[in-house]
Amino acid sequence: MTGIAYYLRVLRVVGAIDFKAKYTDAALGYVWSLVKPLAYFAVLWLVFAHLLLTANQTDDFTVFLLIGILLFLFFIDAVSAMLPSIVDGGATLRRLAFPPIMIPLSASVAIGITFCVNVSAFAVFAAIQRVEPRIEWLLVVPLLAELYLFTVGLGLLLSALYVRFRDVGQVWELAAQLLFFASAIFYPIGILPDWAQKVAFLNPFVQVMQDIRHVVLGGASGPNDLTAGDVFAGAGGRLIPISIVVLVFVAALVFFRREGRYFAERL
Amino acid sequence: MAAAIEVSEVSKTFRIPHEQRTFFKEYFLHPFRRPSYERNEALKAVTFSVESGEFFGVIGPNGSGKSTLLRILAGIYVPDSGRVRVRGLLSPFIELGVGFNPELSARDNIRMNGTLAGLTKRELEAKFDDILGFSELERFVDQKLKNYSSGMLVRLAYSIAIQIPFDVLLLDEVLAVGDEAFQEKCFATFDSFKEEGKTVVFVSHALDLMERFCDRCLLLQSGMVQALGSPHEVADLYRERVLVG
Ligand SMILES: Nc1ncnc2c1ncn2[C@@H]1O[C@H](COP(=O)(O)OP(=O)(O)OP(=O)(O)O)[C@@H](O)[C@H]1O
Ligand SMILES: [Mg+2]
Repeated sequence: MTGIAYYLRVLRVVGAIDFKAKYTDAALGYVWSLVKPLAYFAVLWLVFAHLLLTANQTDDFTVFLLIGILLFLFFIDAVSAMLPSIVDGGATLRRLAFPPIMIPLSASVAIGITFCVNVSAFAVFAAIQRVEPRIEWLLVVPLLAELYLFTVGLGLLLSALYVRFRDVGQVWELAAQLLFFASAIFYPIGILPDWAQKVAFLNPFVQVMQDIRHVVLGGASGPNDLTAGDVFAGAGGRLIPISIVVLVFVAALVFFRREGRYFAERL
Repeated sequence: MAAAIEVSEVSKTFRIPHEQRTFFKEYFLHPFRRPSYERNEALKAVTFSVESGEFFGVIGPNGSGKSTLLRILAGIYVPDSGRVRVRGLLSPFIELGVGFNPELSARDNIRMNGTLAGLTKRELEAKFDDILGFSELERFVDQKLKNYSSGMLVRLAYSIAIQIPFDVLLLDEVLAVGDEAFQEKCFATFDSFKEEGKTVVFVSHALDLMERFCDRCLLLQSGMVQALGSPHEVADLYRERVLVG
């Protein structure tokens, strides 16, 4: 029950069950996984490309916006699904001995499937928009891996804390709402003052999002195409958000291992 | 013959909080005050061993630590001190269940439980019909478990527990809510486990069943081993000491 094959099998089976369960009682089923980002996109695009004219500041505002929304929804939805998963999975944890990390990890896989569905739709959209594919796009893969690591780290940490403190749910809900406005999803990060840019880039999510925008749009978003390297002066600055990812992930694993032994009796 | 289960000096203490500290507020208001706890010693230096192939009974009043002991054997709880050793594969059935998600159908619950317990996709497919067949719940396979009756849940849970490959089976009150027909079915499986040489740890409040099936029996009282021996003797002791008072 510790081999890698066991882990992968559980993630596949339980992740798929989680994903399916989200849509079983919905008449439109999986369609909902597409509707959510589209609804965000429609409203933000209308407001910012037409009413407030932020679009002037970036050449490819549609793709710029879509990337932001897709990544943000993955990040927030995955952490929000992992957070209560240990508490909700109490019945299983109290009756079966297995590595408790499987529960939040499976929850993240279910959201990952939604993300993949959305990215496929995005690829179709990008093709229609005649965005030329380029070899640099491959860089998106390690960037997504970094985002996944950060998301899982944060999710594990919060899910273990949630067993002890139910406040964590409220804190995260508020944080998620504030991050939506503070993370340059729908405006170019360059319009923030310098100090605010530095704060924003401490969040690895912002770094990954800006890097992916940079890679996909190829610098087409002009002076607002900022990445962590620009903001923290020099290539060494890129390491700041990356070290935060490593820190969060390692801390989460250590904390989760320590707490995990006692989940069953505390639930 | 080698012991299938060895338990030596196992203790487990739970803390009963006098105030619930699940909110940050209490930590902010009283950062240095340790919350006051009462200690509840659920198991006190429990020692025994179960031979391979033995049908081993555990009896004791409510709250005496039977389910806690089984959870420690299964590796669900960590003992505070002492050592537990189980040889071979273990399948637990603890407190009326194997750990269901009420929002999922029986089909998904069987797949989830089976996979978590270590079955591969192929093994699961091979066992799936047996699990449903034994529980006689084929009609309800796609119904959410929250709409199952408690007897139906126990049928399903027991079917899963005995289809997972095991050498040691832990059974905590399997027969509590099942009907007559299901009980007879369970008894038949007990007999076959005995023939196959499986080790079974059986917790129940039905003393007559202890006497009927068990090779040896352990009496737990307030977390301590009060007696260990032939089921008749232990059951008689229990009747006289605990039930009469
Ligand atoms: N997770 C837990 N947290 C705190 N106390 C617990 C926990 N699990 C069990 N206990 C306590 O341990 C003691 C033994 O409980 P246990 O469930 O083992 O009893 P039992 O012998 O199975 O009783 P019953 O016959 O009613 O099933 C009880 O006092 C119970 O309150
Ligand atoms: Mg019990």
